[in-house]
Amino acid sequence: MTAARPLPVPDEQSAPYWQAAAEHTLTMASCSACGALSLPPDSVCASCASTSAGICFTPVSHRGVVRSWTVVRQSFLAGFDDEVPYVLVDVELADQADLRMVARLVNGTAADLRLGAGVRVTFEDVAPGVSIPAFTLDETQ
Amino acid sequence: MSGFEARNKVAIVGYAQSPITRHAPVPLGALAVDTARAAISDAGLTVADMDGFVTGSLFPTAGAHEITDGVSIVSANWLAQHLGSDPSYVAGFQGFGQIPGAVAMAVNAVASGAADYVLMHRALHNPRGQYHRNPMTSVSGPLQWTVPQGFFGPISMIALTYNEYVQRYGASREAMAAVLVEARRQGARIPWSYWHDRPLASAEYLNAPLISDPICRYDCDLPVDGVAAFILTSVERAKDLPHRPVFVSGFAAGQPRTRRLPAHWPLEDIMEVGAALARRLWRASGVTVDEVDLPQVYDGFSPFVYFWLECLGYCAVGEAHELALSGGLDADEGGLPVLSGGGALGNGRMHGIPQMLECYLQLSGRAGPRQRRDATVGVACHASPHLGGAVVYTSEPDR
Repeated sequence: MTAARPLPVPDEQSAPYWQAAAEHTLTMASCSACGALSLPPDSVCASCASTSAGICFTPVSHRGVVRSWTVVRQSFLAGFDDEVPYVLVDVELADQADLRMVARLVNGTAADLRLGAGVRVTFEDVAPGVSIPAFTLDETQ
Repeated sequence: MSGFEARNKVAIVGYAQSPITRHAPVPLGALAVDTARAAISDAGLTVADMDGFVTGSLFPTAGAHEITDGVSIVSANWLAQHLGSDPSYVAGFQGFGQIPGAVAMAVNAVASGAADYVLMHRALHNPRGQYHRNPMTSVSGPLQWTVPQGFFGPISMIALTYNEYVQRYGASREAMAAVLVEARRQGARIPWSYWHDRPLASAEYLNAPLISDPICRYDCDLPVDGVAAFILTSVERAKDLPHRPVFVSGFAAGQPRTRRLPAHWPLEDIMEVGAALARRLWRASGVTVDEVDLPQVYDGFSPFVYFWLECLGYCAVGEAHELALSGGLDADEGGLPVLSGGGALGNGRMHGIPQMLECYLQLSGRAGPRQRRDATVGVACHASPHLGGAVVYTSEPDR
């Protein structure tokens, strides 16, 4: 039997993030005091030290650049056994310096990758009402 | 910081290292007790003398293995209790860099008078079944930000970091093969190593399939059962003990400013925080990089060898792979003895123990047929430079 991909269990803090993802919108935690974005959401703002950093989620641009990548050929998650090989990209989102996210690149292992390659956000619909952010190459950047 | 007042005031005076095996014939706790008793005896002491116990007991698996004290981990409390000790100081180090972290706690305990004789140990376990495999079908907490995307575990973690290095600096697999050949050549000479008498040919490394590009199995240390223990005490008490003491000159740990996703270790974090760690290390120990005879860098994943060499200042950033490719890490041929103790790649997953043990054995003159000449200062590193730590040791505090 093939194991299913692990699905996120939204909590009080992350519920808005996963709700937006289900609607194919990527959001980031936004500090209520200074607006700085963070992933993962934190309780104390890394920019202004406010303790109201992880309450609001705001949509972001869906654009970024590749800082690194790897081709995963052996999965340590049973739920990804049928997915290998697949590409993970470490992306710096365009919305804020050093705002980083790691997700799958949907273009396949033969994709022509380089440091600084442009990507935009896409979503994988993995279960009813559950969509997981991913990236696709964006040659326009 | 006003200056490290305990510099060269606390010393290692004895040790024991168990055989390093895939699966020990006895439970990890029993192996730890046997190893602790051997270390205490080696130092010319008795269990009744020991009044301090420290360790870092992390079981570094991403799998779903049960964590049971005395079986899959051995805490300082468990060990003290099962030795029948009545200690005045027992503590565990939280976080990465367990070996430098626990050594620092031992030094602080002795220097402050909280304990006279401290036993510092590390027990590592290899459970049955795959070490990092995880059957989870749902994910909550911090991992919900990475696992649903298929980003999980330390192999992809280090693969992202290393690929950035490879892409940025043009590092080749041939260069890393030289690192592995050196680790396994040195490890093959060590009687307790899992890899004893089993060197690795460069071709074997180059032909290995990749697990998570550009990482192959040989870039990862092998999970093992093994225990090491060291005894630390004051300079004054060390004078009455049988072995030449090896003094702790100073230590430093990495503390990143930037908050990251789980298992996300960007190259720039490692290099920036690692450089700061090195500055604190030299300041605390009063040693400069040029004075170090034994730079025992950490190698639990092979790319850490490059990162530590560059952070400590043995070459410019981005050039450690060139040093490796040109034979600069071949200790038999006059290269830097960074893996002379075999490291984790040449011993098995003993975390920073091989690095610490090599410093102790060489500086105390107890390395036997592997003894190097004129080694008086060593550095033992553990984990990544941005989350781990390093300790400077010397046999000649008055040099």
